[in-house]
Amino acid sequence: MDEASDWRRIAALSDLRENEPLAATLGDDPIALHKVDGVVYAIGDVCTHEFARLSAGFVEDGMIECPLHQATFDIRTGQCLSPPATADLPVYEVRIDGDVVYVRARSE
Amino acid sequence: MFLRNYWYVAASNSEVGRKPLRRTILGEPIVLFRLEDGTPVAFEDRCAHRHLPLSMGKLVGDELQCHYHGLRYDQNGRCVRIPGQEQIPPTAKVRTYPVVERYKWIWIWMADPAVADRSNIADFHWLDDPNWGAKSSYLHVKANWQLVVDNLLDLTHLAFVHESTIGNSALAEHANVKVTRAPNNVAVTRWIIDQPAPPTFVKVGGFTSNVDRWQIIDWVPPAFLRLDVGATPTGTGAPEGRRVNGITMRNLNAITPETETTSHYFWGQAHDFDVKNTSLTQKIFEQIQTAFLEDVEVFSAQQQNLDIYSDPPQVDINADTGVLQARRIIDRIRAEEQSASAAAQ
Repeated sequence: MDEASDWRRIAALSDLRENEPLAATLGDDPIALHKVDGVVYAIGDVCTHEFARLSAGFVEDGMIECPLHQATFDIRTGQCLSPPATADLPVYEVRIDGDVVYVRARSE
Repeated sequence: MFLRNYWYVAASNSEVGRKPLRRTILGEPIVLFRLEDGTPVAFEDRCAHRHLPLSMGKLVGDELQCHYHGLRYDQNGRCVRIPGQEQIPPTAKVRTYPVVERYKWIWIWMADPAVADRSNIADFHWLDDPNWGAKSSYLHVKANWQLVVDNLLDLTHLAFVHESTIGNSALAEHANVKVTRAPNNVAVTRWIIDQPAPPTFVKVGGFTSNVDRWQIIDWVPPAFLRLDVGATPTGTGAPEGRRVNGITMRNLNAITPETETTSHYFWGQAHDFDVKNTSLTQKIFEQIQTAFLEDVEVFSAQQQNLDIYSDPPQVDINADTGVLQARRIIDRIRAEEQSASAAAQ
């Protein structure tokens, strides 16, 4: 990967397990890698309600449930599905190259 | 509010004998005693005649005699003698509760006796299993039972409350924690890898270098917590399931609500190494007891504040994951019990 590009190397694909989120950081942002039905997703890892690392929560049927107050989010889209959170999670592009998982840092 | 459809620990087996013991459980006064053959019995602790606690009376053979006017009750709670009166009214009886002696504890069923199933008693076999050395004890807690459950489901407090025994900073700052849940169970698994052993582990395990330490908390409702805890020298494979050259212990906890703001805390500590060494058992016990007495102070101070501020707002942090899952399960069961009881009426 070219240094100038905004793709960041985050993890080894072989370290990812189905339905077991892996907490990581992208620059200063806490993110989590999720593997659901063989597909890897990268989404923001902080609940939009109060501070909680979502990767410490519970994965069920493609959703992540916050470990504290039960807000749920769609892992594929970052969409907030149930309260007390109301805002969606950021979603990041993922690229797999061999055993390496790259995530695209957002360019804002 | 209490959960009713559970076996609770009422007493240590050594507390219950031929001298009646009064103990309040789920807000109800109970008197516990043993028949001449050793069978434990529990009654409501109130004479059907003029309400004196029967625990103030005495046993005459297998009958409990009230201290006030001498009414005697048999093991089924039926009055069998009224001094100076031949006829005994059928209403002269006291409520009895199913009791079972197991794991050196006396267990009591506080709900409908017709559905008491002794196979539902929570497993605490470590307390009387010959493959383990163990000692158990009792603490009275001036706090709601759920504060004790919360304490045992979030062991980050060891780093602060129990620095002199079972805690050190590694536990809060260098731990890998995983919470899993089922409809009636929460498990919190914490691994602290390649960190110094806390003081108690150095004393009883003789560790001279860093350890891999685990705490695997198994909670089942309402308030039974069985902790698989221990450590092995770093890198010897404990995280992969090979526990060698280390120590494994069980910290065992059964909390019985006394009132909404007080609790009976039955606990024990078991170890799977040098199991016949009673002085080791005692040494381990004393270390843990030191820590638990520190907890008991925390509980009563929390309760005092909760008595002042009714249901104050509170902040949840990441370490509360297990606590919050268990509280939700308790809330669900409480609602189920209430709707079942409303339907029955």
